[in-house]
Amino acid sequence: MEFKSEKLNNGLAVIGELNKSAKSAAVGFFVKTGSRDETGRISGVSHFLEHMLFKGTEKLSALEVNEAFDRTGAQFNAFTSEENTVYYAAVLPEYLEEVTRLWAELMRPALRDDDFTIEKNVIKEEIAMYKDLPNFDVMERCRTLHFDGHPCGNSVLGTEESIDNLTAEQMRDYFGTRYAPNNMVLACAGDFDWDRICSLAAESCGKWPHKAIERKLDHDEGSKKKERIGKANLVREHICLMSAGVSAQDPRRFAASLLGMIIGDDVGSRFFWELVDNAVAESATMQFGAMDGTGAFCSYIRCSSENVTRVLDTVGAVFDHLAQNGVTKEELRTAKNKLLSALVIKNELPMGRLVDLGFNWIYLQEYLTTEDEIDAIKTVAVDDVHSLIEQFDPRNFTQFCLGPARDNQ
Amino acid sequence: MMETLDKHTLKNGMVLLGEPMDAVQSVAFGFMLPAGAARLPDGCCGAGNVIADWIFRGAGDRESRQLSDALDGLGLVRARSVGSSHLAIGAALEADNLAQALELHADIIRRPRLKEDQFELARQLAVDEVLSLDDDPRQKVMLKLREQFYPDPLGRSAVGEITELKALTPEMARRIIDDGFNLSQTIFALAGKYDFDAVCQQAEGLFETERREGPESVTLGPSGGRYTHLHNDGAQVHIGLMTETVPPTHEDYYEARVAISVLSGGMSARLFTEVREKRGLCYAIGARYHGLKEAAGITCYAGTTPEKAQETLDCIIGEFNRLGDGISDEEIARAKVGLESALILQSESSSSRAGSIGSDYYILGRVRGLDEIKDNIEQTTADSVSGFLARNKFKDFTVVTIGPEQVTMP
Repeated sequence: MEFKSEKLNNGLAVIGELNKSAKSAAVGFFVKTGSRDETGRISGVSHFLEHMLFKGTEKLSALEVNEAFDRTGAQFNAFTSEENTVYYAAVLPEYLEEVTRLWAELMRPALRDDDFTIEKNVIKEEIAMYKDLPNFDVMERCRTLHFDGHPCGNSVLGTEESIDNLTAEQMRDYFGTRYAPNNMVLACAGDFDWDRICSLAAESCGKWPHKAIERKLDHDEGSKKKERIGKANLVREHICLMSAGVSAQDPRRFAASLLGMIIGDDVGSRFFWELVDNAVAESATMQFGAMDGTGAFCSYIRCSSENVTRVLDTVGAVFDHLAQNGVTKEELRTAKNKLLSALVIKNELPMGRLVDLGFNWIYLQEYLTTEDEIDAIKTVAVDDVHSLIEQFDPRNFTQFCLGPARDNQ
Repeated sequence: MMETLDKHTLKNGMVLLGEPMDAVQSVAFGFMLPAGAARLPDGCCGAGNVIADWIFRGAGDRESRQLSDALDGLGLVRARSVGSSHLAIGAALEADNLAQALELHADIIRRPRLKEDQFELARQLAVDEVLSLDDDPRQKVMLKLREQFYPDPLGRSAVGEITELKALTPEMARRIIDDGFNLSQTIFALAGKYDFDAVCQQAEGLFETERREGPESVTLGPSGGRYTHLHNDGAQVHIGLMTETVPPTHEDYYEARVAISVLSGGMSARLFTEVREKRGLCYAIGARYHGLKEAAGITCYAGTTPEKAQETLDCIIGEFNRLGDGISDEEIARAKVGLESALILQSESSSSRAGSIGSDYYILGRVRGLDEIKDNIEQTTADSVSGFLARNKFKDFTVVTIGPEQVTMP
C-alpha cells in the first residue's frame, strides 16, 4: 500500500491509496455538506442536489451521463447524510480514469429547471418510501428530537412541503457556496495510476473557484425528551434511543465504537442477552456514530406493544449496571475481535477502503492505514471505556417510539 | 484470471470446495445443508428459521452463552440464511482462526443441544419476525411474490406462517434436523486464505459420517394466482412482479442475463430510464434474475404513491414486452460490460466468492470459473439475445401489491 496526496491551488484535496494487488479501483468525491448545513427554508436541498448531479452538465444530458457510466461497467451511486454528500464508483482499473473524469465533470452540473421539476417527483417518492420503513422513520424522528434545534437534527430528505416549496434558484445558490473545491476531497483506492489521476484533477477541477466556507461545530448533549407517535398501519413498536458521544475528531471514538458493540452488537452483546436471546424483543442494537464536532450513540429496538415496558425497564437496568460496574476485560476483548475482523474484511475491497480513506481526510485531514486503525482499536483499555461512560452516561437518552395507534390517539 | 478450484469429497459424500485468493487475509466459509424451505414437510413453514436459531443455542459441551462467546471470541462475522433449497450457515473471519471456527461449526451442525426451553424462545422470535413483515411491506411483497410465482413448494416463505410456526413442536423440529442435516448431501464452500490439505484433514475428522441417501426430489404443485393484493394504509403501493425465464442450467442462460441487464442493469437501462428518469413515477425500481435449480424468473420491484401505481405497472409491463421489439448494439455492449464488471468486483470478496461456488456446485454440479462466465457473456450478441426473446416471449406476469390501492392487471 502506498499513500499519495496533493492539494490543488484552489484547495481541492486529492488523495489515493495504491494497492497494486487489487482487481478493481474505487473513486469518490466527498463533499463536506449535508442537511446540517441547511436552513429550514431549504430543508432537503443537499440530498435533492445529489440527485440533480446525475442530471448532467451543459454538455451532457441525464441519459448521456447514465450511458457514460454504464459503458464502463461501473457500480456507482451517491449518498447524502447530515454532514456529507458522497459520489462514488467502483470499476475495473482500466476504467478508473474515465469514471473519475466523468464525476469531475458532473461536479459542475447544469441544474436545469425542467430536470428539477421531474426529479421533485422522485424525491417525493423517496420520502414516501421511507415513511413505509418505520425502522428508518423512527431513527430520523429521534435524531430530530435529540438534537432539538441543533442542525445535526435536520432531516436529510426534507418534507414533502419543503421539497414542494424549494426552487431551482435556491438550489443553485446552495450549490454555489457548498461545492467549493476547498470543501471537497477527491479520493481513490485500489489499483490505479496516481500521476494520471493528479493531472486529470488539475485539468478538470483546477479552475473551480475557492470560496470562504464555514460550519458551526457545537457539541450537543441532546434534549433527553421522550415522545411517541401512533400510526394505524403499524403492528410492532419501533423504539429509538439516542445519547451523546464523542466527535469524529476525538481519539476516543474507537473506545466509543467498542462500547456501542458491547452494549448493542446484533449478537453476543448486553442487549442481545437481555432482550433478544430471551425473545423479549426481536431486534435490539446500538451503534456509535461519530460526527463533525459531536457524536451520538443510537439504539434501535423492535418488539410487541405488550413488551414495551419490560424492554424499557431492561434497557434501564443494562445502563444502570454499566454506569455502576462498567464493562469487563473479556467483553472488551470480544468486541475488539469482532470490530477488527469486520474492519479487515471491509478493507479488502477497494470500495470499502475508499470510505474510510475519504472520511478520515474530511474529518481529520489525516491518512490512517488499516494497521493504524487496528492498533488504535487494540490499545483501547477498560479504563478508556469507563471514562467514556462516566462522561457520556448512557442513561441520559432521548427516546422516540413509533408504533400502532392506541385507542386514545 | 486463472483461479484454482480445490475439491475433495468425504467418504460420506459431503463435498468440500475451495477457491484460494492471494490478495486477502480473510477466509469465508459456508455449509449448505439440504434443509431449505421447499424441502420441509408440509405444515412446517418457517421451521428453518426456528432451527437456524435453535442450533446456535448450545452445542457440544457448550451452553448457549459459551458457544456464542466462543464464536465472537474468534471475531466471526456470522451469516445464516434459509433459502428454497438449503439452510446455510457460515462466517467470514481472519484466516488464522479457521480451524477453531470449523470445530465449533461441527458441534453446531452435528451436536446441537436442542433444549426445549430454548426452542420456545427461537420459535417466539420466528413468530415475531413474521409479524414484523407487516411493518416492512417492501420485503413482504417480494416474499409473497415468490410464493405466488413458483410452483409450490419452491417459493415457500422462509420466514414462515404464523399458524404453522405455532403448531411446530420440538419433536417436529428435531426430526427436520435429523433428516435435513444430511452431511452426504451437504456442500461446504470456502474462499480466501486457507490451507486446503489441512481443511480436508480436519473435515474428515469432524464431518465423516455414515453415508445416507438424499432427500426425494420435490414434487411440484401448482403456482398461485396471477394477481394478489394485500391492503395496507401505508404511504406507497409496493409492486412486485415476476415472469418466467430460463434456469441457470439452460443453454440460453447468458442470453437471459444480458436481456435482463438491458432491462435493468445500470442507470441507463430501460426500466430506470422510462419509469424513473422520464416519468418520475418511482424512486425504487429494478428487476433482476432469480434462479433456482428447478425454475427461474425475472423479479421486479417498484414502490410508488397510490395515484401513480397503475401507470407504473403499465409502464413496467410495457418495457418487458418492448424488449422483444429489438435491442441496439450499444445497449448490448453496456449490458455485457456491466455483467462482466460486476463479476470481477464480486470476486474480490471472500464471502461472495464462497457463496457463488457453493451455489454453482448445487445447481450445475460443477463450479464455473470467472473466465468461463466472462467468455459466455462475451459470446452473446444483439442477434442471439433477440433470438432468445423471440423464442421466450413474456406471457404471464405474476403480480403482488401491498398498499392502499389495488391495480388492474393488463
